[in-house]
Amino acid sequence: MAIKILSVDDSRTIRLIVGKAFRPYHVTIVEAANGEEGLAAAAREKPDLIILDVTMPVMDGVTMLTKLKEDPALKAIPVIMLTAESGRENVLQIARLGVRDYLVKPFKEDQLIEKAGRCVTLEKRPAAAPV
Amino acid sequence: MSQTIQVPNICEFMNRHLLDVFETMLSMKVAAVADAGLPQFEDRVTGCVAFAGEHVNGAVYLHLGTLFAGQVAAAMLGLAPADLGEAEVNDVVGEVTNMLTGGLKSWLCDSGAECAVSTPAIIRGSSFVIEPVPDVKREWLVFDCHPNRIVIELHVKVG
Repeated sequence: MAIKILSVDDSRTIRLIVGKAFRPYHVTIVEAANGEEGLAAAAREKPDLIILDVTMPVMDGVTMLTKLKEDPALKAIPVIMLTAESGRENVLQIARLGVRDYLVKPFKEDQLIEKAGRCVTLEKRPAAAPV
Repeated sequence: MSQTIQVPNICEFMNRHLLDVFETMLSMKVAAVADAGLPQFEDRVTGCVAFAGEHVNGAVYLHLGTLFAGQVAAAMLGLAPADLGEAEVNDVVGEVTNMLTGGLKSWLCDSGAECAVSTPAIIRGSSFVIEPVPDVKREWLVFDCHPNRIVIELHVKVG
């Protein structure tokens, strides 16, 4: 069965990059554009992993993560935070919230796959036959 | 606030950080061009993200020629430039500007100058000029990504 990953980011570009990174794997990507949509999608889809942006309109990633951890049905879902800010305070704040891992933008797709692979088992799709 | 936050230090950081963003996200080799004249773009796509704090504020503008902006978007999304519309290109330029300014914010915060950043905005056109308000210093950082030029226009007020 395909792993389900919820990508929460207000940037469509980042959601597309996340989708592209997991294309070679048996992964279904579910998208949300802010924390509020992300919480609803998490409750509805029960993803195996959440990749969560920090700075977003409507509800930011820190608030979404806090609410996620307060929900007994969702708190066990591993979360990888994706942030454009690598400052010490920012990283410490994220770590205190109980994320599984974090990735600082700019990032390489390989780094994302490696970190996701530590949270869920990623299975490669068979390579397409040459035409 | 740390004494290391001066406009030349900010420019030095942005010079390094732009190279990192383009290499990591786009696999594009970029080199800073010292003493370059200001490039003349016929048409350009400009991303803007502002930053503001008690000790420092300003904005980062990333100027890319329109054709090159399409190539950058295509490289980032793994698509052909012909498959991309204006909205996709705008989103990518906004995101690259956001990464540049996010890195600057981290550097400023680690140096003792807490600040917040805005969401990205995009300007498209061929003959516009962005004027800084009084007391704000403007710096131009020019980069070569053969055969294209990348320009960062930095508006900064320290103190």
